[in-house]
Amino acid sequence: MSGGEKKKKATRSQGWEEAGSEFYQENYPGDRDIEVLWKDPKRLATLLPSKQTRAVAATIRLRTNDTRTNKSTVRRYTANRSRSRRDSATVQRRASTIGGEVQVSMLPDLSEMRSNEETAWDEIMKIKELPIPMWKKREEKAKIMSEQHLRLQGFEQFKWKRKKAWQHFTTRLTESYHKIELWRRDLKHIEGHFGTGVVAFFRFIKWLFFLNLSITLLVGAFVVFPAFYFDDRSINCELQPSTCYKQYYCNINSSSNLALSIIQGTGQLESTPLFYGYYQNKIHSYTLFNTNMYYNLPLAYILITLVLFLVSLIAIVRTGAKGFRERLVQGEGQFYQYSNLIFGGWDFCIHNEKSARIKHKALHSELKSLLEIERLEDERQSRTKQERWRIFFLRFLVNTIVLAVLVLSGCAIYFVFRYSNQHTETNKMLRLFYEFLPSMCIVALNITVPFIFQFLLSYEHYSPLVQIRMALIRTVFLRLASLIVFYFSMYSKIRCDSGGLNTSNECSNCAGRPDCWETFVGQQIYKLLLTDFAIQLGITFLVNFCRAFLARHINNRFFKFIGEQSFDLPKHALDVVYIQTLCWVGVFFAPIISVMSSLIFFVLFYVKKFACLVNSKPSGNVYRASKSTSMFMAVMLFSYPVALAPIALIISEIRPSSSCGPFQTLDTIWSLINNTFIDTPTLVQNFVNFLVTPAFTIPLFIILILLLYYYTSVNSANRHMVTVLKNQLVLEGHDKKFLIDRLLMFIKQENDKRARLANHMMDGDTITNASSIQS
Amino acid sequence: MGQANSQLTNEELQDYQDLTYFTKKEVLFAHQKFKTLAPEKVGHNKNAKLPMAKILLYPELSVNPFGERICKVFSSSQDGDCTFEDFLDMMSVFSESAPKSVKAEHAFRIFDFDGDDMLGVSDLKQVIQKLTGENKISENDLNILVQNILEEADLDDDGALSFAEFEHIIDRSSDFLSSFRIRL
Repeated sequence: MSGGEKKKKATRSQGWEEAGSEFYQENYPGDRDIEVLWKDPKRLATLLPSKQTRAVAATIRLRTNDTRTNKSTVRRYTANRSRSRRDSATVQRRASTIGGEVQVSMLPDLSEMRSNEETAWDEIMKIKELPIPMWKKREEKAKIMSEQHLRLQGFEQFKWKRKKAWQHFTTRLTESYHKIELWRRDLKHIEGHFGTGVVAFFRFIKWLFFLNLSITLLVGAFVVFPAFYFDDRSINCELQPSTCYKQYYCNINSSSNLALSIIQGTGQLESTPLFYGYYQNKIHSYTLFNTNMYYNLPLAYILITLVLFLVSLIAIVRTGAKGFRERLVQGEGQFYQYSNLIFGGWDFCIHNEKSARIKHKALHSELKSLLEIERLEDERQSRTKQERWRIFFLRFLVNTIVLAVLVLSGCAIYFVFRYSNQHTETNKMLRLFYEFLPSMCIVALNITVPFIFQFLLSYEHYSPLVQIRMALIRTVFLRLASLIVFYFSMYSKIRCDSGGLNTSNECSNCAGRPDCWETFVGQQIYKLLLTDFAIQLGITFLVNFCRAFLARHINNRFFKFIGEQSFDLPKHALDVVYIQTLCWVGVFFAPIISVMSSLIFFVLFYVKKFACLVNSKPSGNVYRASKSTSMFMAVMLFSYPVALAPIALIISEIRPSSSCGPFQTLDTIWSLINNTFIDTPTLVQNFVNFLVTPAFTIPLFIILILLLYYYTSVNSANRHMVTVLKNQLVLEGHDKKFLIDRLLMFIKQENDKRARLANHMMDGDTITNASSIQS
Repeated sequence: MGQANSQLTNEELQDYQDLTYFTKKEVLFAHQKFKTLAPEKVGHNKNAKLPMAKILLYPELSVNPFGERICKVFSSSQDGDCTFEDFLDMMSVFSESAPKSVKAEHAFRIFDFDGDDMLGVSDLKQVIQKLTGENKISENDLNILVQNILEEADLDDDGALSFAEFEHIIDRSSDFLSSFRIRL
């Protein structure tokens, strides 16, 4: 440490002691300071009032809160921070002449009289914001406490008491919340090893877990429980089944093996509330407090489906909105990427040597890559036409290949699905294999194809950031494409061709269609979900764990190459989003799926934690929390319509199966909502009808457009203002520099003059001395 | 962490709760953590002043490139030695419930190596060097980086970041709040 710093430290600590003094001292350069400083104009610039904004800002903040005691705190604080604590008398005299800031603090404190219990309390709560050491804070608090305060009267007193109690209550609440908060320790542990970006992923899993839990509660409370509670069926299959439902019900009870039926979702499970087929199209009546009440189960079923989609959408948008807003702010040409990296780059929560080292390295490479991007950008600008064409051609080629791979995998899924459906083996194991074949095919493609994409990406010469984004987008497409192919193959199975219309059997009005096709679809999704989860487990605990084990214990370059893995955030995020998409689609067909996906997310947290902490080493990529969260939400928003579309189609177009489910007798499910609407009072009907007339919609449309116009013009005006202000700031800065230079020149001149005068005097002295000697 | 065997009195706890962003329980927990740094010394005197080397044993601080700066900023004697109260101040600022403005204030002081209330070129260079650790960055790159930061954030074009400018960055920085945090 240099001597200068030591000296400064000494003056600082002096400042703390002096802080007790009653006098106000402005941070104003003393003469001695200037003498020291005139060599270095930068130092002088730091003494300008505008550079003392912290203290001033704090003053303003507290002053507006009309607290006189705090003001004295800040006064002290300002004094602490001021560089010139000497010459207090001169400074004091001067103080009255400088800016309003000082004058305010010189004024007699009128607010002294206004102090009451409430303001005192507020003051105490404000103390913690001040950057002063604890013993000072305590002193402040003691001072406020010891002063006389007006007691609040009547309603005021009540209000204040309530406020205080509320504050106590909230701290209690947060305290107990921290105690029961799920995975708190795990999150901290992961954060310590991998930083905030990866923790954002685990928070995302947690968020999904809670989302699914609430979906489960909704479905459980409004659909499963009532259906179970009002269940009054008594079907005796010995007799000739009379209705379609009974036929269907008696048919499924024949299966036997419990384990098989659990993994397939067939057999005994099929006739439980877990699947669509269980629910009846009955309006249950019951008596509550001697009044007859009705529970319209079909209506509840459809409404809950809609509600849970709505709830999910709101949850996504709410969580994502913050990230998107940040994106927008950053996108306005105002890139703070360097500052963000430098000042927000280090995760202060990292607590072990190894991760710290990796973080250092990651930050280093990130800085390097930022510089590299800049260089690449320069290079790109100076690229020759020929090179540009070459890269364009290469990218075109790669994109074609990617598209081809996507189409191929889509076809593969489709054919495998058809193939597996054509085989009706008698051997149980073989049948099981064929049933799971499509799911396994989808999962296998999901695992292998991203590697191909990764490989192709290296030929495209994108910048690292774009690379990650491209890989993510393509993988999302793959996942969703496989899902869409799955829909199509399902649709071809349940579609009712006019040729296949079977009039001889009133119950299943289509040939080749399963008796209860909704349950059938539910079972497929159920299987898909199970397979996906099993493969996740298998890959994490068997394959990747062995790889990591090999890489760790065998010091061989080959094993290191195949064994070492980094925690690839986008891939894991996709795994999770995929499960959520399946859940959204599946809940309609099998309410059990919401429970299942909650459980899966719960277990998946630990699986991913294992994958993260045991299998992989910290990634060289810097994942930032804000970026990751908005990425997750973007992927969620992307897959949301893919989940919503088939449900919308089924509700509006497809005829529900007539032998099972709450909508057995209806043509389409939507007609139920229509019927319910017709049953509502005419007033409501008229109102809704009015909402859709042009008389209402056209004015609404115009108003919305006007509002949009208004906001865009305000926005552009603000943006213009920002640029103007920025220019003004720069100009002010130049003015300031100019003035400081002039001031320094002046000081220098003065000093020179004084020195010359002194020399002159000295000369005079020597002359007089000489003359006296002579005389 | 029972209140019975705690070294802190009830009034102290109340004070700490009012003056930090912690609840009483968390204060007790913080004291326990403080005690583990030097069990003997703190056992004798709950407010013992621990030398900086001891404070730096705290895991998050030990690997933090700014560990020493943090200690110095929060030390009431300015030399990096911390009492429990200083430690509590530190943890309170780094806690989740501390607002952005308070965090920004202290972050500025931490990054301000030469203590002149401005983040000048030398401060920024030091910050970058501390961030990258052993991985050296060339002088030329360093200069470019500093230049880029100043270009982004130095609004009045005077070659250094004042607190107002720093606060402006922090407002725009999406990661600062989540990264400038130490869980107790």
